Amino acid sequence: MFKEDMANIAKKVSWSSRGDDRGERAPLLNGAEDGKHSNRQFSGGGMFHVGSRSTVDLEEEITPEEDIVKSRLKEIPHNEKLLSLKYESLDYDNSENQLFLEEERRMSHMGFRCLEIRRWVICGLIGFLTGLIACLIDIAVEELAGYKYSAVKQNIEKFTEFGGLSISLILWAALNSAFVMVGAIAVAFFEPIAAGSGIPQIKCYLNGVKIPCVVRLKTLAIKVFGVICSVAGGLAVGKEGPMIHSGAVVAAGVSQGRSTSLKKDFKIFEYFRRDTEKRDFVSAGAAAGVSAAFGAPVGGVLFSLEEGASFWNQMLTWRIFFASMISTFTLNFFLSIYHGKPGELSSPGLINFGRFDSDTVQYNLYEIPLFIIMGALGGMLGALFNVINYWLTIFRIRYIHRPCLQVMEAMLVAAVTATVAFAMIYFSNDCQPLGQDSTEEYPLQLFCADGEYNSMATAFFNTPERSVRSLFHNPPGSYNPLTLGVFTLVYFVLAVWTYGLTVSAGVFIPSLLIGAAWGRLFGILLSTITSSQSIWADPGKYALIGAAAQLGGIVRMTLSLTVIMVEATGNVTYGFPIMLVLMTAKIVGDYFIEGLYDIHIKLQSVPFLHWDAPPTSHWLTAREVMSSPVTCFNRVERVGRIVDVLSNTSTNHNGFPVVAHTTENEEPGKICGLILRSQLIVLLKHKVFVERASSRLSQRRLQLKDFRDAYPRFPPIQSIHVSQDERECMMDLNEFMNPTPYTVPQETSLPRVFKLFRALGLRHLVVVDDENRVVGLVTRKDLARYHLGKDGLEELQLAQT
Amino acid sequence: MDLSAKFTFVIACWAVTFITVADCAIYPSETSGDSARKLPSAVIPVSQPSTLGSFYSLSLSSTFPEDLNEYCIELLRIYRQRYVAYANCLVTYARPVKVCQNCYTGFNSLDGIYKNISSDQPGPGNISCHDSLMRSDRLMLLYALFNKLDEIWTSAKCKQCLSKDQEALSNDTVYFMATLNQSLSCFEQYQRNHTELCKDCKASYRKLKELYGSMDKNQTLCIDLEDAMNITQQLWSKNFSCLLPREETVPVIAVSSFMLFLPIIFYLSSFLHSEQKKRKLIHPKRAKSSNSLMNIQDKFN
Repeated sequence: MFKEDMANIAKKVSWSSRGDDRGERAPLLNGAEDGKHSNRQFSGGGMFHVGSRSTVDLEEEITPEEDIVKSRLKEIPHNEKLLSLKYESLDYDNSENQLFLEEERRMSHMGFRCLEIRRWVICGLIGFLTGLIACLIDIAVEELAGYKYSAVKQNIEKFTEFGGLSISLILWAALNSAFVMVGAIAVAFFEPIAAGSGIPQIKCYLNGVKIPCVVRLKTLAIKVFGVICSVAGGLAVGKEGPMIHSGAVVAAGVSQGRSTSLKKDFKIFEYFRRDTEKRDFVSAGAAAGVSAAFGAPVGGVLFSLEEGASFWNQMLTWRIFFASMISTFTLNFFLSIYHGKPGELSSPGLINFGRFDSDTVQYNLYEIPLFIIMGALGGMLGALFNVINYWLTIFRIRYIHRPCLQVMEAMLVAAVTATVAFAMIYFSNDCQPLGQDSTEEYPLQLFCADGEYNSMATAFFNTPERSVRSLFHNPPGSYNPLTLGVFTLVYFVLAVWTYGLTVSAGVFIPSLLIGAAWGRLFGILLSTITSSQSIWADPGKYALIGAAAQLGGIVRMTLSLTVIMVEATGNVTYGFPIMLVLMTAKIVGDYFIEGLYDIHIKLQSVPFLHWDAPPTSHWLTAREVMSSPVTCFNRVERVGRIVDVLSNTSTNHNGFPVVAHTTENEEPGKICGLILRSQLIVLLKHKVFVERASSRLSQRRLQLKDFRDAYPRFPPIQSIHVSQDERECMMDLNEFMNPTPYTVPQETSLPRVFKLFRALGLRHLVVVDDENRVVGLVTRKDLARYHLGKDGLEELQLAQT
Repeated sequence: MDLSAKFTFVIACWAVTFITVADCAIYPSETSGDSARKLPSAVIPVSQPSTLGSFYSLSLSSTFPEDLNEYCIELLRIYRQRYVAYANCLVTYARPVKVCQNCYTGFNSLDGIYKNISSDQPGPGNISCHDSLMRSDRLMLLYALFNKLDEIWTSAKCKQCLSKDQEALSNDTVYFMATLNQSLSCFEQYQRNHTELCKDCKASYRKLKELYGSMDKNQTLCIDLEDAMNITQQLWSKNFSCLLPREETVPVIAVSSFMLFLPIIFYLSSFLHSEQKKRKLIHPKRAKSSNSLMNIQDKFN
């Protein structure tokens, strides 16, 4: 049976390994659809109709041929209810094969100690390098933006007097566009994954989804370069989000001791070359990134905890905290050198909220309801932000997918940002006297009286970080309400429009800025209503609360964001109000739409597993969830068949259950183990064939190291040459397969499968019948497709993207 | 005198007696004058109404037989004179601010006597007045008074307007004053006609502004110059309203609307011309009808 079976399958492009099985069963479809279930061992699958989308094809009464043609060509516009095939899972489950056991046996007690020390060293390095990168970004942005603003300022001053301000406007727009163009070209043409803040991508990575290229050195370089360009280009963006991605890349790179992008292998840290170890370091890197961005080491650790790691233990937390601390310290230290005060460690983060003196800006019990109202407001505005951005992103994915269009769009946004800012400044009549210790780096006088500056310019003619700080700290009366109102509105629109462009940039700072503006407005209005010079009068406090509310309303982070805000302000007193505000913002916002990052994850069609299965899914069992039939291998398998299965482009499976050899065609084999595509490829590459065993004696035995060396970019099957003779060889998989894969019976409910899958970080879960025979395989995409929609449980469709 | 005042007076007398008694009881030897003098400050927090302050201090001083020596009293006297003179000067030139120009001699002399008192070097007769004058009580009045004035002097940045030895105004300052006077006299000239003024005094005013800007950069400004400049700027901008006209509204609006128009064109054209990105749906194989469907499709391929 085997021989002809193999001959068959070599020509076929199919899902199944059992060609004859298919051949027999295919005609059945033309008849009654229900009938074909009866001769299989699982019944009752027919009632599986979840939602309307998934079953459209089957319900229509059309002849098979039409049906086939139609569904073959079925193409739909991109939407959020898709799962992309391009994403795969990471292998967080350790394969305990014989090689692994041997290696463990060989390793001495001392060896394990050394590993632990190496982990600490790596975490220290991650923190250090992340801090350095943050420092580099900060200094570069400062210098470039300083250059730009002083050039534009000089120009404006010159033309205010002699006329020709429209030329200044064009100059400003052109400078902005030029910066952004460079950044956008780098991102769009060289590494599109570096676009955006990178937080959704890191979230996915930590969730266990392998996003292509996300932790490469090239991505890091483009990201850093891009973020410098986009912030210097005056877009409504921040440099904080990308820091998290940068930290993660640094971590992934350092922990591997080599760079595949540079083709350089330092031959260190080889033990950590697998997904499980790498994931731990990546979460440390993300934490270090947050810590460098906000000067919030604890917030960083909690961010990793909240956003990513479902795999958590005490030692790991401690190490991550170490990396965070090192990162913020490094940034602090190098920035102090840059500012000419070496050793004076006063700038722990990229954004510095400045000091809130606790006696001047304390809060009172009766203000708490006000804070909650602000939280609700933030939730609503955040939801509005997300809804608009959602539609915009869909439009972008559908229509603006060519790189040159993307670059043009980014340039246009930059130019419009400058234009709008200029118009606002030009028409603003809000003049404020220059203070003694004015925080304004580039005060613009324009048509104000001498000795005064344009108040709108402090908000627009500045890097967003500085604007946030002046909104927090400028004394009462520095802004008039109209200025703030207009600014909020305009900046809101700009920020919504900007997020999702093909530039690397974060959304934290724009959100904070919007929130700080309306929060300050709120505070000013309050103090005019009450007219008493009590603690109401300090608008900076309301600016802070507003900023927290807006940011919470957009990104919907809770614990970590509270701690980040508390750490960034350096004021624990505000912990309670900030927490309340963030809670309210999340509750209110979630009523309308999800958080921004979740929206973008969905729009990228990533098979993301949330914490729990959808609540109403207990009636679904593994039988309905799983993919079936399964492509299995025998314990000793013919090379030709393996090559054929692997090179089948339409299936591209990654895990193959290994079954005991069975003679009966219909019966699926008993499970013996699980082998991965990557392992098979390494085996094929080294030609570990049974026939060669004798000649191989002279060679070295294959070790776990050989698998690690190929990690993480295993060569594609096409690049491995297998001659016609070799196709007839046999391959013994016993030694390499994972002999104890996780299995579940067919009757297991979806939430149960989900829990197992999520908690253990599995990639494949084998479904077996009561005799341990393989009947199906559950993968991430099988689980991620269920989600709770407006009318009950919905199913996402798989699509090629 | 009403009843309550009388009552407090009685209390005060009682307190004084108590202090003296306590003084004798605890320190009978009186050898350590330092600690004896410290004592009142420790006990006084019984807190007397301030209305009785003068009487009270009078009676207190009379009870201490051993007091400051002559030298220290002399120093104190000089301090008082100079302090008064300097404070007098400050208040006199408070508005418009001209303290640096006029009070630097006063400050220098006060600074001199303060340094003299606070130096630990003993004067004639091997007496150091530092401890007895400055550090004998909680209030440390001489220190506090001087400190406040010194703070004012520092925050006024008067040093930046003075020559290196602090004995005269710096050349920069003098030059600035001259330039300022030019502008002011120009203003005077055209008092009546503001449009003329804006035109004709522009040159001198601009010169003044540039000078001010350069001095700001060199950190040679003090409060006098800042204030003078401030007043001049206000005269110029508010009183004479020599503001720059907002003439270019039309070109700015034109350019802005052109810029705002660009994205609309961009999005429209990409909506109309760029082909929509479609996704190919893929049918997963399931343990139900769809898998067989897949198989057929495969065969057709």
